[in-house]
Amino acid sequence: MATKIYDVVVVGSGPSGGTLSAHLARRGVDVAVVEGGPKIDTRTAFNTHAMPFDFANRHIPTMRPGVAGFESERSRGLGGKSMTWNAVAWRFSHRDFKGRSIDGAGEDWPIDYQDLAPFYDKIEREVGVCGNLDHLEDLPDGVFLPPVPMKCSDMIVKRGAAKLGVKVIHVRKSTRSVASATQPACHFCGNCMAGCDVVAKYNSYDVHMRPALASGHLTLLPNSIVREVIVSNENRVTGVRFLNRETRAEGEVLGRTVVLACACVQSVALLLMSKSRRYPHGLANSSGELGRNFIPHFTGGVEVFLKDLVGRPASNDEGFLDHAYVPSFMHNRKRDFARSFGMQFGYQNRRSVGWARSLPGFGQEYKRSVKDRYPGFLVFSPYGEMLPNKKSFVDLDYDKPDVHGLPMARRHVSWGENDQRIFREMTRWSREILEAAGAEFLSEDPHPATNHELGGCRMGVDPRTSVVNADCRAHDVQNLYVVDGSVFPSASEKNPTHTIMALAARTADHIADRLKKGEA
Amino acid sequence: METRRDTLKIIGAIGSTCAFPFGANDLYGQQEHHHAAALAQVQSTRAPFTPKFFSAPEYQTISRIADLIIPPTDTPGAAAAGVPEYIDNVLTNNSDVQKTMRDGLAWIDNQSSELHKKRFVELTEDDQIAILRPLSDAVDRARVNSIGALFFRMIKSMTADGYYTSQAGLVQELGYKGNTVLAAFPGCDHPEHS
Repeated sequence: MATKIYDVVVVGSGPSGGTLSAHLARRGVDVAVVEGGPKIDTRTAFNTHAMPFDFANRHIPTMRPGVAGFESERSRGLGGKSMTWNAVAWRFSHRDFKGRSIDGAGEDWPIDYQDLAPFYDKIEREVGVCGNLDHLEDLPDGVFLPPVPMKCSDMIVKRGAAKLGVKVIHVRKSTRSVASATQPACHFCGNCMAGCDVVAKYNSYDVHMRPALASGHLTLLPNSIVREVIVSNENRVTGVRFLNRETRAEGEVLGRTVVLACACVQSVALLLMSKSRRYPHGLANSSGELGRNFIPHFTGGVEVFLKDLVGRPASNDEGFLDHAYVPSFMHNRKRDFARSFGMQFGYQNRRSVGWARSLPGFGQEYKRSVKDRYPGFLVFSPYGEMLPNKKSFVDLDYDKPDVHGLPMARRHVSWGENDQRIFREMTRWSREILEAAGAEFLSEDPHPATNHELGGCRMGVDPRTSVVNADCRAHDVQNLYVVDGSVFPSASEKNPTHTIMALAARTADHIADRLKKGEA
Repeated sequence: METRRDTLKIIGAIGSTCAFPFGANDLYGQQEHHHAAALAQVQSTRAPFTPKFFSAPEYQTISRIADLIIPPTDTPGAAAAGVPEYIDNVLTNNSDVQKTMRDGLAWIDNQSSELHKKRFVELTEDDQIAILRPLSDAVDRARVNSIGALFFRMIKSMTADGYYTSQAGLVQELGYKGNTVLAAFPGCDHPEHS
């Protein structure tokens, strides 16, 4: 029997791979999703309703005892990081796509807001994004389910921020505030990032891939850790080679088109690992730019107790973690840096009391002071946009193979002057807003930390300075695509997943159109 | 009104380097941890516990200090909440902190015997507190450079971690009310905030 050749082979099954493969399958394209990890049932696999005292060491582990999943970056499981994300869903704005044109630093995207707007619409209709229509130029409104009410802590922060002319809005999340025919509404148990056991929160398996299986055009291949993208003498990719996660046996999946959607760093790593005579420095890397322009978000943190809540009885306010957001405001103000920052806050649930050890003293008085402060504890987490620099990149560490014998991806991050200015300013603003809201300060992160990995396969017009084009297609190889955070030429300060999903929907249309025309 | 200076005192108290097996924010498994976490039996009555790391006298001392840090009030104290078991579990699984603990326990009993010719657990509560107070003050001033202060910072952190992640600490004492099913999120019901 001849080996099946799929129309499209997608590597990775997170928000990007899940969205893309479902959209292709619905259009009648035969697609195989190759995922390193096992199939995960979100209803039973996670510790959604666990408490720390259920475990001797008080760590709530990701998976229930004996359940496989989330073993390594290369083998999380079907659904990828969408299983444990916090579901924050912003649209990027014109400013985010055209930062270089606006403030002269970093890089522009080759596409603009209008190019993605219809796909944001599409994703919001499919997934169910709750949010308020805020009419902000920098944070475009969309097709929203009703927003979830704010908590008392949000109202207090909102009042403080208003004194400084800073707006606080309802968060927007890919979590259903209203049930659909197939998904229930959120029940506010407060542990979204442990995995949602009812699929009120979007995950790419239950919301995108599972329903698409009915089309008969989608094949899921879990437990298959891809180690190489195969390239032919004719400079076309023909499929991928993988290792079985359990048996380590080698295998191949063949396709007319290959899409990498492995969550930024792992897509970069897979291309770097795919060396050939034509591409000795990694596939699709004739520019030498592969792995460069790594621009993860950086975050800080200020921990406080809101004085208005100190001494009150604790209330059931975990909700679906953070309910409010401070959208970027500095881009409209006088500042000594390019780009901007936004602020998330209050996304720790009330099962975390790690701050208690930091209060002074001991004995009855100490015990009382912890209890009094418990309802008022709040973490402010501003997020800033990093500019690309030569010292920030991803490469491979061949000296330290992972359990599968594959080189580990290595991140190099160095903060530039602009990044440090934003970090100082976003920390200062966090303090100012909290002070205006009435806060007792507990601690402050002195250094930026990375989150939301982006860049490494930059999208651009010029094949000498970018890896993929405006359609997410490799400049070097006609039938190879990369669709995840790695293609972002600039990072914005906004959580990236919603934009990654819109890009995936757009790329699915592009690939399906090409296949239809026989161009692929 | 509280000034910035007052609040910074608390920031200073935290210190920048911690001799603990994990940071406060890492405690609850938000990251991908791969410890083989055995499900603890949720027991209505606690069975007698045999410590794995501590000797019997050490365990007595640890239990006493934990209860001095978080004493019983109208809710259980650290010992009744199972904190000594938790601390023994942490020490058993983290060899890098064992020396600080052992040295500290020895220092505590030395101090007791020098001052009162008795073991720590045999002292009156006032005498026990008098030994711990300067250690606690040193930790709060971020002057953690003696065996005693290092020890106190460690046991206080472990006591706080263990207590406030226990049923008694989190639910009874702090009044944790989450992890329920709500048909709708109620929003803020404080008239002055909404």
